[in-house]
This record gives sequence, C-alpha cells and structure tokens, in this order.
Amino acid sequence: MATVVIGIGNPVLTDDSVGIRAVRRVAEELAASAGVATQEVYSGGLRLMEAMAGYDRAILIDAILTPGGRPGSVYRLPLAGLWETRHSRSTHDAALAVALEFGRLAGLRLPAEISVWAVEAGDTATFGERLTEPVERAVPVVVAEVLRELESRQGAGV
Amino acid sequence: MKRISINPVTRLEGHGIVEIFLDEDGKVANAYFQVPELRGFEQFCVGRQAEEMPVITNRICGVCPEAHHLASTKALDELFAVDPPPAAKKVRELFNMAFYVTDHTTHFYALGGPDFILGPEAPPAERNILGVVRRVGLEAGQQVIACRARNHEVIRMLGGRSIHPVAGLPGGWSKPVSEEERRQIEAEARKNIDFALFTLKVFDTVVLGNPAYLELVTSDLYHHATYYMGTVDGDNCLNLYDGLIRVVDPEGREFARYPASQYREYIAEHVEPWTYLKFPYLKKLGWQGFRDGASSGVYCATPLSRLNVSDGLSTPRAQEEFERFYFTFGRRKVDGRYPPVHHRLATHWARLIELLYAAERMLELATDPEITSPDVRRIPERIQGVGIGSVEAPRGTLTHHYESDQRGVLQAVNLIVGTTNNYAAMSMSIRRAAEKLINGTQVVEEGLLNRIEMALRLYDPCLSCATHSLPGTMPLVVNLRDSQGRLLRSLRREG
Repeated sequence: MATVVIGIGNPVLTDDSVGIRAVRRVAEELAASAGVATQEVYSGGLRLMEAMAGYDRAILIDAILTPGGRPGSVYRLPLAGLWETRHSRSTHDAALAVALEFGRLAGLRLPAEISVWAVEAGDTATFGERLTEPVERAVPVVVAEVLRELESRQGAGV
Repeated sequence: MKRISINPVTRLEGHGIVEIFLDEDGKVANAYFQVPELRGFEQFCVGRQAEEMPVITNRICGVCPEAHHLASTKALDELFAVDPPPAAKKVRELFNMAFYVTDHTTHFYALGGPDFILGPEAPPAERNILGVVRRVGLEAGQQVIACRARNHEVIRMLGGRSIHPVAGLPGGWSKPVSEEERRQIEAEARKNIDFALFTLKVFDTVVLGNPAYLELVTSDLYHHATYYMGTVDGDNCLNLYDGLIRVVDPEGREFARYPASQYREYIAEHVEPWTYLKFPYLKKLGWQGFRDGASSGVYCATPLSRLNVSDGLSTPRAQEEFERFYFTFGRRKVDGRYPPVHHRLATHWARLIELLYAAERMLELATDPEITSPDVRRIPERIQGVGIGSVEAPRGTLTHHYESDQRGVLQAVNLIVGTTNNYAAMSMSIRRAAEKLINGTQVVEEGLLNRIEMALRLYDPCLSCATHSLPGTMPLVVNLRDSQGRLLRSLRREG
C-alpha cells in the first residue's frame, strides 16, 4: 500500500509551519523503513490534491485555528467534517473536497484513505522561523501519533 | 453626505471583511475591504545576506513563488551591479512563461470561469471547478490537470525544485538548459498553445456567444476609467519578464515610462486608518480618494491593465486575439493604439489572451538558438548597495526593493506586490456592487454577496502575499453599518 505523509504550511510564518516541521521529523524517523513517502506542500486545494496522486493512503499534517482552541492541542480530524485547517483550501482555486472530487473525475488515482492531523497554532501572523513554545512541544506528540498510525496499519498487514 | 465615523471599527481583524457604510438616507456612503495584518516581514529579512532573498521571498506565498523568485533575483542583479548574459535572461523569461500558463489556466477553470460557465446566480456550492467540468465536459478537466502537470515539470526542470525554486542567482541562473530539456520544453509549449486556443474557444462559446453574459461583461457594472500599469518592451509590446514600466491615462495616452529602479519617483503609498494594507497611487497626481478619472492617482495593474498599456502583442495569434478584444469593445485605434477597455469583467478575457501569449512566447524562447548556451552566469564583483527589481506577476506588477551595507547585509526591504496595486480599484468595484444592490434598508443579500465575490475574483487578490502570508480560508463577511458605524446586518458566506 503506497502511503504518503504530507506536511502543509508556510515555512517562515511562525506556527503556520508546524506541519512542515512535523513532516521533516517523520521523514527522519522513517529513514530506515521504506514504503512511506513524505512531502512538503505550501498551498492547499489543487496543489495538495496533486501531491496525493498515485498513493493509496495519505496522512496530512497542518496547523489549525479553532475558536477558543489552546495552542499546541493535537487533533485527528475526519476528512468529511466541517473543519478547515489552515491550508486545506486554496483561495485561488478550490477547497480540498472539491479538488479531490475533481481529481478523481479527471482520472487521477487518489488515496481511498486520507487522515488529517492538525495542531492548534498560536501565532500565524508574524514572520519567524521558530514555533511558539506550546506548539513546539506539540511536534513530538503529533509525530508520534502519525508514526503510530503508520505502524498500526502496516502491522495489520493492510 | 454626513461625515462617516469609522472609529468604532478601525482596523478590524479577519480575512476578507467588507465594511459598507450607509449615509443617513440609507444609501451607500463608502465601502471598505479589510485584510488581516501580518507582521514583521522587514525585520525578518534585515540582517540577512542579500543573496538569501530569492529563496526567502519565494516562501512568502505558496501561490506565486516563481514571481517572487524572479523579482528578487532581478533586485540582486542591481544590488550586485551585474548584468546577466542574454541566455540567462531568456531562461528566466522561459521559466516565467511556464508559470503564467499554469497560473492563468487555473484561474480561469477554477476561479473566474465558474461565474460565466455556471452563471453568476448559480449556488456557491456549484460555482467551482467541478461545476465547470460538469458543464464543459470531462476532457476539459483532464486537460487542466495535464496542463498543470507538464508546466510544473518545466518549472522544476528550470528552477531546480518544483515549488520553491532555487536557480536564480545575482548575475544569472545556476544551470544552463540541456538540448534534451529544450526539446521537451518545446513539445510542452506546443501543447500549451493548443490548450490556450481551446480555452479561448470555450470562452467564445460560453461568454461571448451568450448575449446575457456578453451584456454583463460590457455593462457598466465594474466600469472604472483609471490609469493602467504594465511592463513593455522597446516596441511598447507586452513583456512579462523585463522592460520598462508604462502607465497610460484613461484615454490611453502615455503618462509615464520608467525603469523599475525609479518606482519611488512615480508611485507613493496612501495609508487609511481602517486597514494595514497601503494604497499605492501615482505620485504626480496625488491621492484624491477612491475615485476614477484622469485627475485621480488611482491606477490598476492586472491582465487587463497590461493589454491597455501595450501597443500590441509580439506573438502572432495573441495579437489576433488582442485586435478582436478591442474591436468587441468598440475601440478603434487612436494615434496607432487602442484606447483602454475599462470594463473590469473583461479582465477574464484579457487573462486568456495573456495565456495564449505566454504559450507562444514559451515556444519562441524554447526554439531560440541561444537558449541552450552554457553562458548563463556573470560573477558579481562589487556591491552597489541598492537593488530594485520587478517582474509582471499574474496579479500585477511585482517590485522588490533591497538596501544593503558594504558587506551585502540587508538594512531595508520593501515589496509592492501585484495585489497591492489594485487595492484601491478593488474597493471601488465593491462599492459599485453595493450601490446597485442597496437602497435604504432594502438589501438584495444573495445578489450582494455574489456581486462582491465577482469583483474580488476578477482581481484574484492574493491577500496572502499583499500582507505577506497565506490564509487558509477566506470566508466572505459583509457588514452593513449606519452612519454612526453601528452594525445593522452581517452577511456571511464560507470561502
């Protein structure tokens, strides 16, 4: 089963980069085990959909802002929910759900299984190459969750 | 009109909030388009080595990293006082053409087209690329996917990476184009031309062939007789990579023509208390408020503006379309050039003419004998300390301005991005839409949201990069306020 883990975000916008940082960590952890690809994606919508083409399963990691959310909280979201992470949509083309349906209609092979991990961001309005402290602490948490999800599925022989 | 107090709502936070103020008779007094604040870009850059900028500024935004990479690289040419060899300039332009083809294609099929292909009154949930494919046919969808894929591959090949390019260096480009790559790019360019012609045919059939839409495009809905800005070559033909910046007045007469390095002599920035984004205007005319006409300093820099400043296009088929475009709007040549088209919805058509031009220009460059020259880099020998570079980004003229000390360490950074040029014009289009649909307390809610969205889509504002970031979502919020600034009603549509 071809799997891709995708980190999404702006690498120079403080907590907005949490998905990018987490996927880099996942890539390091996975170095030894083959069969799982990792990617960094910087905009949502069609670009994100295209990054998933050719895989059976995709795991996305992005920042999220929820009303009253505590920075550093880690969520696993169902794809079909009403949520939007910071980069699921591109304001210049399409929402992720529309992009996925469009891709399938146009004949791209897109993952049957997509799971989304999101980290509540603190600051997504200041340029900077460092995460804020609570979000930094969430990185190992989300990385461990993603690795566990990868392992459990491989262990199940799927 | 009574003085409108905006104190209660100065600088609202949030993405894409439109504030409409009514006067005491309930008529539209003013309309403002708010954008979120993002902080610290200049501080983020100051203190770094100038040569890092092409790979930093291309991370500002995931939508047009290519344009930032090129503007930044050109600013460095000047900062390091080095003129790249001709082959390097051609490779950079070729790279920009591949980017234009994918960006303009995506805009038409995913963002601008749905208003026409499905109709401006279609439910928002259907007005997207899926709706377009259902209406125009699956083949069009497959073509869009193929077009994006082949041009992303060309961008990767030339730029060294698929998304954040790294090949631009002061004085040139980091690697020459091999003969094998050139052959592949030539083949892709030919496919791009066919696809651009196909897309123009779709536009012909669904928009120009439909009397209702043709009337919409040529109506005065978003008619603003402003100044226009764009980059032209030595023959005053459109150039998307290099040349002089030309500004024409609302009658089409040349108002200014200057190298990007002189932009501060021509452009100044106006600040309003209710927004963090600045409003650039023509310095010689001054800021006269949000209005059009020859005495107002408001200008526009979009695909439509670029056609309006050009005497013609240098590629044959795009030139044919250019002629047909002005003819359709009843324009006849005056002093050898067409007077401007002021109908902002025509921007969608102008964008497709640029799509064809970019495809044809890509083929010209891919078959240029010099394009595979190994001479693509001149090594800088000194630091001049100031570097200003500009390119035409899909959404308007993009200017990067850097100042460094003698070691090349940055002391100051200023960017004027494509969208910023059009901020005043966008506010005017939103106001026009509001005036037509608000009378007293009678508000056509659905129509208002649709018309405001149509105005925003034709400019395709990159709020992300205008404020130097990338918001993930942009729900549209329209707040109606009375003359005291009190909120009367808030309309909302998820992005």
